[in-house]
Amino acid sequence: MGAAVIDRYVTDLGSRLRGSRKQVRDLLTETRDSLTDATEAHVGSGLTEQEAQQRAVEEFGPVREIANEYQAELAVAYGTRTLIWLAIVLPLMHMAWEYGRMLLIGPWQDFGSVPPAWYLFIAKANDLTSGIASGVALVALVLGRVLARKYDTRLVAKAGAAIALTAVGAVLLGNLSIILATAHLDVARLLQSSPMTVATAITWVVIVRLGLLARRCLSCATIVA
Amino acid sequence: MKPDALRGHLDALLLATLDGRQLHGYAIIEALQEGSGGALDLPTGTVYPALRRLERAGHVTSDWSTVGGRKRRTYELTQAGRRALQAERSAWREFTTVIDGVLGGGGRWAQQ
Repeated sequence: MGAAVIDRYVTDLGSRLRGSRKQVRDLLTETRDSLTDATEAHVGSGLTEQEAQQRAVEEFGPVREIANEYQAELAVAYGTRTLIWLAIVLPLMHMAWEYGRMLLIGPWQDFGSVPPAWYLFIAKANDLTSGIASGVALVALVLGRVLARKYDTRLVAKAGAAIALTAVGAVLLGNLSIILATAHLDVARLLQSSPMTVATAITWVVIVRLGLLARRCLSCATIVA
Repeated sequence: MKPDALRGHLDALLLATLDGRQLHGYAIIEALQEGSGGALDLPTGTVYPALRRLERAGHVTSDWSTVGGRKRRTYELTQAGRRALQAERSAWREFTTVIDGVLGGGGRWAQQ
């Protein structure tokens, strides 16, 4: 008979969980260890192997209920990882792009004539967006730790995912706005420097990647196991 | 004891169980059941997410180590966890004193 009952339980549990592969693997390893320990204890008190496994699984809890509790923790862990990425990558990416732009294209004021106020406003807003989004992600990380035990884990996970999505959305909007504004003012400037066109493409790849991470945060936080 | 009644106290119970020692998950469950004389009737699977929550709060740290020839995740209290346990104990004493003052009165008003 082997560990058939435990195997079935752990497989069922694993099939309901979404999140970082390592985190899921760790949780399932711990679950299997716990069930094996409980089985050994029940065999020691006189049950057959089959009965002992059955008892261990029953004591562990209904798989759906346990999966929902595990999933909430996995969602928070995924959200935390995404917010760390946002806090680090967004300002670095923006600084790298701006540095490249100053080096290869020059300041916005060199458009020939001074750009209109609305353009400078968009440029300034875009400059600030990455910093603000990164700061918000950092604050959310600190609050998440401080408030970890005060609020329901599912609520913390949803809040983290919402913050990550909003932060990426704001950065995306900022980048899109500056590209459209530049195209409106002087479309040639967008393709003026090949290295900067590549840098812009890389920026977009990173933003889309962060967006996918944030979306996965939300699906991890809202899935019902 | 009913699982719902325990859930709100699970964090404190886990902190108390880990006080001054390093234990793996099943050893924590055994210690909880032993400490309560078998009265703690909680699905044992709920202990693991609770341990993760405590780790997230910085009250517990965990590490994989080999115990009894098997690789296991073991948990111990951090400095912040010890402070949180102290706070939980004070809050619990205060709570029981207040409640006992009313509930434990043995129906003295009825006797008056």
